[in-house]
Amino acid sequence: MNTVLQVISAAAALASVVLGIWLGRKWAPPGSRVNAKPVLWGMTAAAAVLLGLGAYLGLVWAPPEREMGEVYRIIYVHVPAMWMSMLALTINFVCCVTYLFKTSWKTDALAESTGEVGLVFGAYGLVLGSIWGKPTWGTYWDWDPRLTAMAIMLVTYVAYMALRRFVEDPEKRAVWSSVVGIISGVNMPIVWFSVKWWRSLHQVQSTPKTVDPDMTLALRVNAWAALILLTLFLLHRYRIALATREAEVALPEALPTDAPGPHSSRTSEVA
Amino acid sequence: MSTALYLSTLLAQVGSGRLQGGWEYIWASYAIAWGSLSLYALSLWIRRPKADAASKE
Repeated sequence: MNTVLQVISAAAALASVVLGIWLGRKWAPPGSRVNAKPVLWGMTAAAAVLLGLGAYLGLVWAPPEREMGEVYRIIYVHVPAMWMSMLALTINFVCCVTYLFKTSWKTDALAESTGEVGLVFGAYGLVLGSIWGKPTWGTYWDWDPRLTAMAIMLVTYVAYMALRRFVEDPEKRAVWSSVVGIISGVNMPIVWFSVKWWRSLHQVQSTPKTVDPDMTLALRVNAWAALILLTLFLLHRYRIALATREAEVALPEALPTDAPGPHSSRTSEVA
Repeated sequence: MSTALYLSTLLAQVGSGRLQGGWEYIWASYAIAWGSLSLYALSLWIRRPKADAASKE
């Protein structure tokens, strides 16, 4: 039963990722006539079922931890949130580097989407970690290397999103935010390896290899559920970003032709 | 008698070496996680491209 649930949840999540990539290419661009509703509802239903199953496994089925007792059950929402944040921000880093080599509004839109979604997962994941710290460490916050590195990284992504809001010129915004995204991304390996490099109060990374086998199923199901949610969020946010970008780059062409515009060379197509 | 009472109280405070209770922290964490995900999903729905909203009217 354990293996069956792991295989089903993994298959559902990986199928959702593949469908998400397909919808990102076919449905997300403005003007698309692809009817994505059945697929989107299917993915949403899969995420809801896995979230419900994950909550049952994490809150009821999994045994208490030897020293932390029941409190450790926060792991099943905290760890998937952090994994999804790191995954989204890694994609953001790749998009930022790619944009500087090959400019594309789609790459810029994906960078914007991953930055925002990664920030959401990372922010609430950090709050959950802080709540977990109170009963186990005796404090909500400690300037421990892992916590500090994660907090700094999130602040840099807040700056990244703020920069995107403040710069009106889409081209300058894309270039500048790519540079900031790369600088922010440099912090990611520091966050990941901080628990290994320094004597950190934070425990080592919780993965199926480092937790008790009885906790693996609940952790995996919750992580797969979070992956489907991440895919759905990225897909919808990417679609919004593409629509916004198209409106921005199309606008100068609507201006009178005698009005000198610095962006007259832009195309109205999201390329 | 008082010594025995003191010792039993002391041992009760030491406990079993495992954190007891803490469900309030767990519920708070799950509520924040699901609340955050729901609010973000709502924000995406509100910001959806105008063509979607127009096609439903």
